[in-house]
Amino acid sequence: MSELTLPVDIASVWGADLEPRFCPRCDWRYLAQPGAAATRCPHCARAELQPLAAPETLAFATAEPELVAASTLSAEALAQCIQEFAASIPFAPQDLDPATLRGRLQRCYLPLWLVDADAQAVWQAEVGFDYEAASHREHFDDNRGAWDTERIIETRIRWEPRVGRLQRAYHNVAAPALEADAALRQGLGVHDLRGAQPYAPALVERALVRLPDRSTADAWPDSVPAVQRVAAQECQQAASAQHIRDFHWTPEFSGHNWTLLLQPVYATYYLDDERQPQALLLHGQMGQVMGARRASPQRAQRMTLILVAIAAVLLILSLVCGGVGVLFPPLLIAAGLGVLLAVAVGVGALAPIIIVWRFNRQQAGE
Amino acid sequence: MPSAQQQPFPPQGYIPAASALPGIELFMPAPVVEQEQAVVDFKCPQCGATTAYCIQERGLTCSYCGFYEPPHQAVVGKGAEAFEFTLEALSRAAHGWGVERLELQCQNCRAATSLPTGKLTSTCPFCGSNRVVQHAGDQNALRPRFLIPFGVVPDACRELATHWLGSSWMTPSALQRLARLAEFVPIYLPFWTFDARTRADWEAEVGHSETERYYEDGEWKTRTVTVWKWESGRAALFIDDLLIPGTSRLSAVLLNRLKDFDTRQLVEYEPRYLAGMQAQAYDVQLEAAWQQARAEMREQTREACCDQASTSEIRNFSMTLDFSDETWRYALFPVYVAVYRYEDRAYQVMINGQTGTMAGQRPVDWGKVWLAVALMLVPGLALALLGIITLIFGIGVIFLVFGLILLIVGGIFAFKTVQKAREMEHV
Repeated sequence: MSELTLPVDIASVWGADLEPRFCPRCDWRYLAQPGAAATRCPHCARAELQPLAAPETLAFATAEPELVAASTLSAEALAQCIQEFAASIPFAPQDLDPATLRGRLQRCYLPLWLVDADAQAVWQAEVGFDYEAASHREHFDDNRGAWDTERIIETRIRWEPRVGRLQRAYHNVAAPALEADAALRQGLGVHDLRGAQPYAPALVERALVRLPDRSTADAWPDSVPAVQRVAAQECQQAASAQHIRDFHWTPEFSGHNWTLLLQPVYATYYLDDERQPQALLLHGQMGQVMGARRASPQRAQRMTLILVAIAAVLLILSLVCGGVGVLFPPLLIAAGLGVLLAVAVGVGALAPIIIVWRFNRQQAGE
Repeated sequence: MPSAQQQPFPPQGYIPAASALPGIELFMPAPVVEQEQAVVDFKCPQCGATTAYCIQERGLTCSYCGFYEPPHQAVVGKGAEAFEFTLEALSRAAHGWGVERLELQCQNCRAATSLPTGKLTSTCPFCGSNRVVQHAGDQNALRPRFLIPFGVVPDACRELATHWLGSSWMTPSALQRLARLAEFVPIYLPFWTFDARTRADWEAEVGHSETERYYEDGEWKTRTVTVWKWESGRAALFIDDLLIPGTSRLSAVLLNRLKDFDTRQLVEYEPRYLAGMQAQAYDVQLEAAWQQARAEMREQTREACCDQASTSEIRNFSMTLDFSDETWRYALFPVYVAVYRYEDRAYQVMINGQTGTMAGQRPVDWGKVWLAVALMLVPGLALALLGIITLIFGIGVIFLVFGLILLIVGGIFAFKTVQKAREMEHV
């Protein structure tokens, strides 16, 4: 496979009629169903995806999809996650409404490289064998004048050196297919690949599939540590040991075969005070949300004005009370209390602005 | 890591091992091959006579042609390999040798003899050939792997014993002259050595003496009271080479008195050391010996905890003690054993074959002991009596007080003297 050649027929690789699209703002590239309504870019939400009209290189479109990670998030759980996200922002923008966010949800898939490779290597390691040893704990008490002995069985490890040769095939070792993979993992979390199912075209119906932007040559060095971990576990198993450490090997790889694993996510967006779209991604299994959290200064200002108005009214009423109180002294107390309350409300009116300012500043710092 | 082309594969000293996974070859270090010879006979390579280990020469010697061969083992000392208390080792130790007696055929004259499994050496009663029995195979960890060679020569034993017999005033005056001392027999006795770390958390009420003033009968007085305060602490000890005798066939009291062996002189076991000597295998099981050792270790730790308290007045003491890094060794230590007779009674005496420490039974002349007790008590009694008599004259109080003090001090010494006499006689 040449990663950089224009595919003859995407349908023959994906088993579905998909057309390539791209975002003119962030240049993320996708496969989508032809004729589908214009969709905002799930990544930046700042532009709508455009078809790739020019016959330019379309990297990695011929990479075959092999597996799809299970999408275990139910509709109710998804709604709950959105609800919690909206509730976590104080003075959220008006557009950040759970129902609005749900209405804009777009199903997407993020790619992960899978590689099969044959390995030949000479290896050495220390393998550990569990064994049990007896120890004791004693307790003495003057009042009883006797010792209580408790026998404790401890499991310890006996380490022994081993060397060997291996000739094994390793299948479906994962490697990042996107340059932004590390940031996506940090923000969204990792997908559980254990329940991954074989790819079927129906799974990508009405969904956007992000194409890899990382070559297999770049991804291969990321696979090698994973292969080494699997090889170490196999050598431990071969030695019938319970532990392994200090595994070193000199491998030679051949027979590389690259395919894709698709990880489900959901994309949506909301508009902030400046009417700028803020993209959100939701983990397709755990529901974790990744995206900008922006509180609304406008709403905070509105709240402040309302509180200031209330404080002003209270102050006026208190002054009037005070005036009448000259003739009717008990009213002076009410007037004093009213002034205090007005001052308190007036000072408290600053709170919404401060809360929003601090929140947005904290989010920007993160 | 060097490439496979640069190094031979597999490395030297590695043998193939079974692999549980196809496609993966496995090699492991070749296990150390223990010597297979079950019984070792000692013959002089020069003249064919029987050779034996000579303590004086510190090597294997032939009394006929003068052949001499020193042992090949270097001193390992405290670096001697120790074993953990694995369940496997404890189980093996509990099962013992598995047979009551060993049937052996002399390699020299082909005579058949029967040997109790507790004995590690024997001399053929027919041809005098010396043999050392080795129980190899599954019992690897439980055969002696180390020993301390004899340092005290046999000639010195009689002199040591004779001097020792006359060294105590409690023994009969004629003991040194009349005691008929038999020959000292060198014998390797089994000992277990134990190492462990102990860590104990303790708490107790500790008494502090304070003086306080109180008003009574119209005047201020002072008195000393004990104020109890809770204290706690943590003690950690490393107990190194605690020795427990592995044989019950000799007096444990005497063995405990002479177990000041220096384990820095431990050497790796070699049959040559035992040629012509007597040697016993253990009959005190590992678990029982460890129980004894633990009892000593926890008492040492308890003392360390009590030493941490700010005073020596302690009550409601409690502690929790954890053992860790417990290891054990099974070794043979040199002891001379002899019996002497005095007035138709046999007494046992032992000498530490490395350091020369003596321990043994001695008859007690109780007449001397009671006379000494009387001499310790009489001054106090006499002074107290004098004090009672002269009480009416006023100064009797002073005599009475001093007399009582002397009586108490004399009583303590008398008690210790009688105790020592009893220890000397009964082991």
